[in-house]
Amino acid sequence: MTVVEAQNLVKDYSTNGLTVPALRGISLSFERGEFAAIVGPSGSGKSTFLHLVGCLDVLTSGEIRIEGTDISTLSQKELAFLRRQKIGFIFQAYNLIPVLTALENVSFPLTLLGVDRKEAKRMAEVALATVGLEGMGNRKPKEMSGGQQQRVAIARALVKQPSLVLADEPTANLDSKTGSEILELMLSLNRTHGTTFLFSTHDKMVMEYARRLVYLRDGIVEGEERR
Amino acid sequence: MRRKGSGIHKNVDNPPSLGYREILIVAFRNLSRHRVKTVTTTLGVAVSVALYIFMDAWLLGMNLDSKRNIVSYEIGAAKIQTQAYFEKKDDLPMYESFTDWKPLVEVLEKAGYAAAPRMVFTGTLYARSGSAPIVFHGVDPEKESRVLRYRNYMEVGRFPDKGTYEIALGLLAAEKLKLDIPRRITEEELLRLIEDTARTPEEGAFIRRLYENSDNRQKDLTRDRAPLSQEKLSYFLRKDLPRSDLDRYWELLLSSGRNDVRISTVIDIKEETGKIRHVYQVMEAKVVGIVNSPNPKTNGNVAFMPLDVLSGEEGLLLEDRVTEILVRAAGAKDSDLPGPEETPEAIEGVLNRAGVPLPSPLRVYGWQEYVKDYIVAARGDNITTRVMILLLFILSFLGIANTMLMAILERTKEIGMMRALGMTDGELILSFMIEAGMIGLMGGVAGMILGSLANIPMVNHGIDYSTMARELSGDFGYRITALFRSAWNPGTIIGSGIVATLVSALLSIPPTLRALRIPVTESLRFE
Repeated sequence: MTVVEAQNLVKDYSTNGLTVPALRGISLSFERGEFAAIVGPSGSGKSTFLHLVGCLDVLTSGEIRIEGTDISTLSQKELAFLRRQKIGFIFQAYNLIPVLTALENVSFPLTLLGVDRKEAKRMAEVALATVGLEGMGNRKPKEMSGGQQQRVAIARALVKQPSLVLADEPTANLDSKTGSEILELMLSLNRTHGTTFLFSTHDKMVMEYARRLVYLRDGIVEGEERR
Repeated sequence: MRRKGSGIHKNVDNPPSLGYREILIVAFRNLSRHRVKTVTTTLGVAVSVALYIFMDAWLLGMNLDSKRNIVSYEIGAAKIQTQAYFEKKDDLPMYESFTDWKPLVEVLEKAGYAAAPRMVFTGTLYARSGSAPIVFHGVDPEKESRVLRYRNYMEVGRFPDKGTYEIALGLLAAEKLKLDIPRRITEEELLRLIEDTARTPEEGAFIRRLYENSDNRQKDLTRDRAPLSQEKLSYFLRKDLPRSDLDRYWELLLSSGRNDVRISTVIDIKEETGKIRHVYQVMEAKVVGIVNSPNPKTNGNVAFMPLDVLSGEEGLLLEDRVTEILVRAAGAKDSDLPGPEETPEAIEGVLNRAGVPLPSPLRVYGWQEYVKDYIVAARGDNITTRVMILLLFILSFLGIANTMLMAILERTKEIGMMRALGMTDGELILSFMIEAGMIGLMGGVAGMILGSLANIPMVNHGIDYSTMARELSGDFGYRITALFRSAWNPGTIIGSGIVATLVSALLSIPPTLRALRIPVTESLRFE
């Protein structure tokens, strides 16, 4: 099943009257259960691509379908609901809510989905255990290491069982050992649950874990590699 | 992570409801991020709310007391006057008087009202120590006391009897003309007073005993203060005197002729041609009592004397003419404001139903028509105070706006993340409204408690400002002479808390909207 279908994506940014092209007509599709990396140097357009697929930014032209839904036809509110239900995000800087505990951070997306509080707590505890943070649910983000915070972020992204998880340079803020642990975890979750992972990186270690690599340069697909 | 039993909805068109409990938790915990700022802002709101409650209760109390005092001591519920008199009432035009008032009073009394005829005129009161312009009220003592209660507040002496040329004088006029009991007197004056008043040595000794020397008094005040030669000669009326001693002293003063006065007035008589004729008249009278009621209007340059003696040739040649009839429900309590049966329409209705309609020049006017000075003073104070409090409110709400602006600016990245997680703009606005509303609620509740606590002594005891009131001649619009007391206003207490909460919540909307205008991708990069 095709989770993401991008056709001829064009994205231009306007700055001080100048138009800067970020993506110049990219067409890509990703099937369910893929573990793919968008690879390229800074400014190649990989983050822009993830933002567009994640419905966080607006296309200049082209078409994106998430599980068959053309996102250009959705209102801002409908896009928010689409993100809420079908897309999980993992950020480079973790972006946890600092005033909430790890458990509350993980259960937060579930409460947005209207899941019963007890059920949300149970699911969040399972998610935390899955990422190796069993018993650490009551800690606040500032009481955790970078690696632990990223694990919480992964649990938060996966707890609602999304169709697609987008990770923007998920290991960039971590040391190599912790980074590889996180990648092992993501890969394991991809295998266990069949969740589609799509992440951007320019880190060679990260590329080694990916089963599909899409090379971007100057806003176009330069090449593709499947393993 | 099992999918079984997750209960997760997957329909974009039919979105699930938001977990408000978590939003509340986030909002509450965010308040603890900057405790000092939250506490300071909360305190600002609390002080504003407390001050508003306090000032509102004070104004309400003063207004309630003023209205009660106007009705109970000054006007009653309504007056019957000729339209011409009413239109010129500030000039006290005694020539716009009317006759045939007796059937009206009779009907009203039968219908359960108290009605008191009056002739109001101006003149000069001459006493031994000087003279003063006075507004005289010719009244029927019995009927007057059924409408107004100032007769119960005789500072000293009694109310004039029917058929006598006796006067009850307002306290301030009596003090000015030295017609009251002397409170402070020099040794020389005391000796002269004893000589003029005491008919026996025992009476002289009695009067002497009523005063204490200023030296004794000074010893009580301060030990180190150097006595002034002038003060050494002063005597003060003792404060612990029983009423019986004061009454006896007053009777001695009356019998000495000290309170014999002369009234000089001009009688204005309107002839049938409409021409006004002036007749100068002088009357001999005696001040038999001093009025000091809770309404300063009865205590100034005002005198009350029997109406019946004014009718004849030795009086004002009134021939049963009066300038007004005061009306009040019979047996109305002092604390009651006039009810629906005491409106001008109701009173006119009673007269009409009894077959004694008001003659064409006469009208019934409600008490509010006569107290424009009070209404202006009250309205002015009301507006000034509320504007001041509003400014205070604005200041504290600016504090909330600033706190929320800083909080939202600081959390721009967090807002981007929440939007990425799928929170809608509406949900984010609600979340920040709850956060700001909590500051308003906490401040509001604290302010309600503070304001109510401050109100307790003000309601139960009030502030005695009698010294200041005397310096202002007791008349500055409000009809209160000594005690400013507050009154409970549950509507304002609860309302101010609610308003503080709502306004605080609303103040979070502009900065939130500003943050939401930033694209999600930019918010996520915000540092």
